[in-house]
Amino acid sequence: MALTVKPAVAGAAGIAVALAIWQAASSAHAAGGSLPAVATVATDLGGLLAEPDFWSAVGATVGIALLGLGASAAAGIVVGVLVGSFEPIRFATRAVLEFLKPIPPIVILPLVVLILGPTGQMSWFLVFLGCLLPIVMQTVDGVHSTDPVARDTARSYGMGSAEILARIVVPSSLPYIGTAMRVSAPAALIITVVAGLLGGGPGLGARLYLAQSGGDYPTLYALVIVLGVLGLMFQGATRFAERRLLHWHESYREVVHS
Amino acid sequence: MSKRPSLKSVRLWLLGVGTPLVLLAVWWFASADSTDTFFPPLAEILDRFRALWLFDHFTSDVLVSLRNLALGYAIAGVAAVAVGFVTALSAPIRWAVDPVIHFLRGIPPVALVPIFISLMGFGLEMRITSIALAAFFPTFIATVDGLRAVDRGLLDVASVYRLSRGERVVSVLLPAAGPQIFSGLQVSLQTAFVVMIASEMLGPSQGIGAMTLLAQQSFMISDMWSGILLLGVIGFAANFLFDLVRRKVLAWYIGSRRLARAS
Repeated sequence: MALTVKPAVAGAAGIAVALAIWQAASSAHAAGGSLPAVATVATDLGGLLAEPDFWSAVGATVGIALLGLGASAAAGIVVGVLVGSFEPIRFATRAVLEFLKPIPPIVILPLVVLILGPTGQMSWFLVFLGCLLPIVMQTVDGVHSTDPVARDTARSYGMGSAEILARIVVPSSLPYIGTAMRVSAPAALIITVVAGLLGGGPGLGARLYLAQSGGDYPTLYALVIVLGVLGLMFQGATRFAERRLLHWHESYREVVHS
Repeated sequence: MSKRPSLKSVRLWLLGVGTPLVLLAVWWFASADSTDTFFPPLAEILDRFRALWLFDHFTSDVLVSLRNLALGYAIAGVAAVAVGFVTALSAPIRWAVDPVIHFLRGIPPVALVPIFISLMGFGLEMRITSIALAAFFPTFIATVDGLRAVDRGLLDVASVYRLSRGERVVSVLLPAAGPQIFSGLQVSLQTAFVVMIASEMLGPSQGIGAMTLLAQQSFMISDMWSGILLLGVIGFAANFLFDLVRRKVLAWYIGSRRLARAS
């Protein structure tokens, strides 16, 4: 048991040291006194948590992120299976997808804000676009890497192409899709915050902008802490869901053997 | 490789090269006499692109943005690998920083920009610090994970050969964790690019992101499109250059993976 106690103690000590540095810097009036004290931020955070407006902002942020993610997963998997199943389409789209993939959605934020205005729809659309490409490309890779022997076996059992798609191709590309979702879920939250902060979409991002432009520094820090916790929850939830849903697949089973 | 390419592979190759060209041509002709406010003709966008980014604002904005990106990213990369080594090689330090680091990693990187604005104002230091800090975490975490996954056998061989600490780091640990470090660096590059744009879009300042947002707010739609185009090209080019370097540095690893897959 000593093995698990030591990291916990050291971790608590690390947090204590970080808080102490923060407190010392704020007492020393570093950066012109714009760094609030730990206790001030803690009280502010407590005030936020008691405020119904704050919870509706959290709800808006999480809702937009999940809706955008869900829509891009549904569209991305369908498009990915189509593109991956037909060699000519795969070749035709590859250069375009490879070009667009490294371009983050923040680049087209000005255009989307111009057309849709500072609305939840705008945030949703940015999340959708931002998560779509990684999911499409991973699904294409997954479909493409289907074991040809499994495919031929299915055909010799007399399965039709729809059945092969449903029982062989899609299940074998699920780990790829799982990886894409694990990367995309935190990204969906980040894009929602960016859309609120820079584009005025509803949720925590817009509150962050208000706190910064109004010089309300304790609230600014409290909101960033809330976002950190939300980010961790998104990462944890996707990791958990991935393990639960894909436990049957080889690449997840291996862990048990070793 | 002396086999002549078949007709089919030639046709697929043509499809790959042709589709982007066709799409560009479609954009060009479909928008040629567009009167839609939001979608100006491509010719006009390219015209503004040349006027704005290649002449008027090249030194005042394009170079400033690129320098911030390069500087912030370089600081983040070097610091993350160095701190990652110290952290991974000493268990007590790793235990102590683990919770703090994981919490900081959960924060959306762009949300750190308002904090740095409140601490340092809208200057260049703020932007470079924001970029560097946001880009630090992906590489740092990848370095620690990569070092922890180094094969025990390699470490045993290193001690049998009585390698000094320096030799062990340079010729055993760094190459063994290299692939992981590079995937961390790639995520960091993306993060750095996003934070570069965000740090320019918040508050009055110079840079490509600021210019693009200003053009949007003053309804200069073609200028905004040209900014979007330039940012897109930079995003792609940065990733492309990164991939070239990665292929060069990790040639041994990529080759061994290909051999393993072929066998």
